[in-house]
Amino acid sequence: MQWLSDFWAAYGSLAGLAMVNAVFALACYATLSTGVLSFAPVAFGAVGGILAAQLVLHTTIPLALIVLCGGMAGLGFAMLLAPALLRVEGHWTALATVALVLVTRVVVRNVPALTGGDNGLTVTRPLSMAVPVVTLLCVMLGFRALHHSWYGIASRVVRDDPAVAAGLGINIRQTRLIGFGVSGFAGGLAGVLLVLVQQFVSPDSFYVHVAFVMITGAVIGGSFHWLGPVLGAIAVTLLPALTETLVPDSQDIGSGIALLLALVFLPRGLFDPRVVLLQLSLAQATRTRDPRYERR
Amino acid sequence: MESFVAQIVNGCALGGIYALFGIAFGMMFSTLGVLNAAMGSYASIAAIVGLFAADDLALPFSLALGIGVFYAAVIAVLVDQLAFQPLRRQGGGLISSLIASMGFWVILDGLAGYATRQPGLNFPVEIMPSFVIQFGQVQLPAMQIVSLGAIVLVTTGAYAVIARSRFGSAMRAVGYHPDTAAIAGVNVRRVAIYTALMSGGIAGLAGVLAGVTTGTFNAALGQGLMLKGMTAAVIGGYADVRLVAIAGILFGVVEVLCASYVPAGFRDGFAYVLLIGFLLLRHRSLLGGLRLGRT
Repeated sequence: MQWLSDFWAAYGSLAGLAMVNAVFALACYATLSTGVLSFAPVAFGAVGGILAAQLVLHTTIPLALIVLCGGMAGLGFAMLLAPALLRVEGHWTALATVALVLVTRVVVRNVPALTGGDNGLTVTRPLSMAVPVVTLLCVMLGFRALHHSWYGIASRVVRDDPAVAAGLGINIRQTRLIGFGVSGFAGGLAGVLLVLVQQFVSPDSFYVHVAFVMITGAVIGGSFHWLGPVLGAIAVTLLPALTETLVPDSQDIGSGIALLLALVFLPRGLFDPRVVLLQLSLAQATRTRDPRYERR
Repeated sequence: MESFVAQIVNGCALGGIYALFGIAFGMMFSTLGVLNAAMGSYASIAAIVGLFAADDLALPFSLALGIGVFYAAVIAVLVDQLAFQPLRRQGGGLISSLIASMGFWVILDGLAGYATRQPGLNFPVEIMPSFVIQFGQVQLPAMQIVSLGAIVLVTTGAYAVIARSRFGSAMRAVGYHPDTAAIAGVNVRRVAIYTALMSGGIAGLAGVLAGVTTGTFNAALGQGLMLKGMTAAVIGGYADVRLVAIAGILFGVVEVLCASYVPAGFRDGFAYVLLIGFLLLRHRSLLGGLRLGRT
């Protein structure tokens, strides 16, 4: 086990961050898989993370319970916001949640009693590698179960075509509300993990860059299966570290370029073999001018 | 009383800059269906390039402004052709172009941060127009006159192009339905390039003016400008540049007046809350009564 602890000492914070980002990306995927692009998990994460920071500083309850509390806080906040956010027409939800992320930062900066204000709070609690690993595994298992549940099937139909979904008797609003709930819980968990891994929370902990990593992870990894965001987020976390060794100070630019290349050349992401096959056959069918596949 | 009038004028000039940005953002959205998150970076880059032109090349203010605007317009066309054009060809929706623009946002902001490498930038005071016009008791500094002149000119010009010219009807046709416009003989790609050029230029103009007005700025200048400009565009309802201009100016006035009563830290939050509020409470815009989304 010596190599494992050596590895953790050298790359622990990077690996921890990769797992945090994977949970964030899954939180983003939760709403994306019902056809709603939302950056709200950043705000859910802020709620969970700041609650966790307070619990660590002022109580001695076990870490597992703190993680769970953060998740529940995220869930509660999400259920509070979701009805309002879902009132907004389609793509405007994305913009409303971007504004929400910015409001979150304003609030965090101006309530120093809870958040430490601009200087941030140092959260000292030794963290074993097991906490992020177990949390990520539990979240992944949860998403796996959801994928095969009636909700998973319903969400795929809602995403592909809301009109068809409504025709099949699927309650679109309810499906999306559940998506927001899952997103809130996962986002809250990710926020707690971020605070625990970085041992620090400041207004910049939960800001646009988290939203960017989240969406990049989900898009590069593929947003049609829960495994995609996990792989994508890990790739997006490790990529800057890699480009940093090649070109110093270039981290964000590299991820931006990766995101663009993925969008143009891999519109469905790294992971989802079935969709790739489907696309190939569709392309072939359009080439042979099969009238069934003509765009209308 | 004089100070109140001065504050109103100040708010109008500030709001004019938001309105310029709102017009640029709305033009891109209503014609090409792109919610362009990278647009704030065009503004930052225009301000930085304008500053370099004024500082290192010692050019007069008007030339520096022109160079900044030109740069932003060229970058806007490049971004459009590199990121949005392939997505348009694939038939990707709003979400994919929004995500692509976020990619460019990060790339361009990274490059802008690279280029400046310092926390605060200042336009040299001596090159700026410094005359003051006395209006009864109220003094109008030159920069406010420049901003107000810019918004009036751009609004009139953009309205003339979009609503009255032949090219404008092509733009509206592409906004309504690109495929139908193409069948009717509109060169959609050309319209896209010119629209990106115009909106990039206007965003750049807003950026340089904001950079000069705020005094000290940095590469994050565009971010704040984008959210406020976007708010103006949402309130004004996108389709009509005149309404966006009015909304932007009103927004600036309200912000300046609120600044006296709201604590400094929450001042920016005000814009975001207004944006969320408008998106949530009304599906239609305040001034236009139009639907927010395109038909």
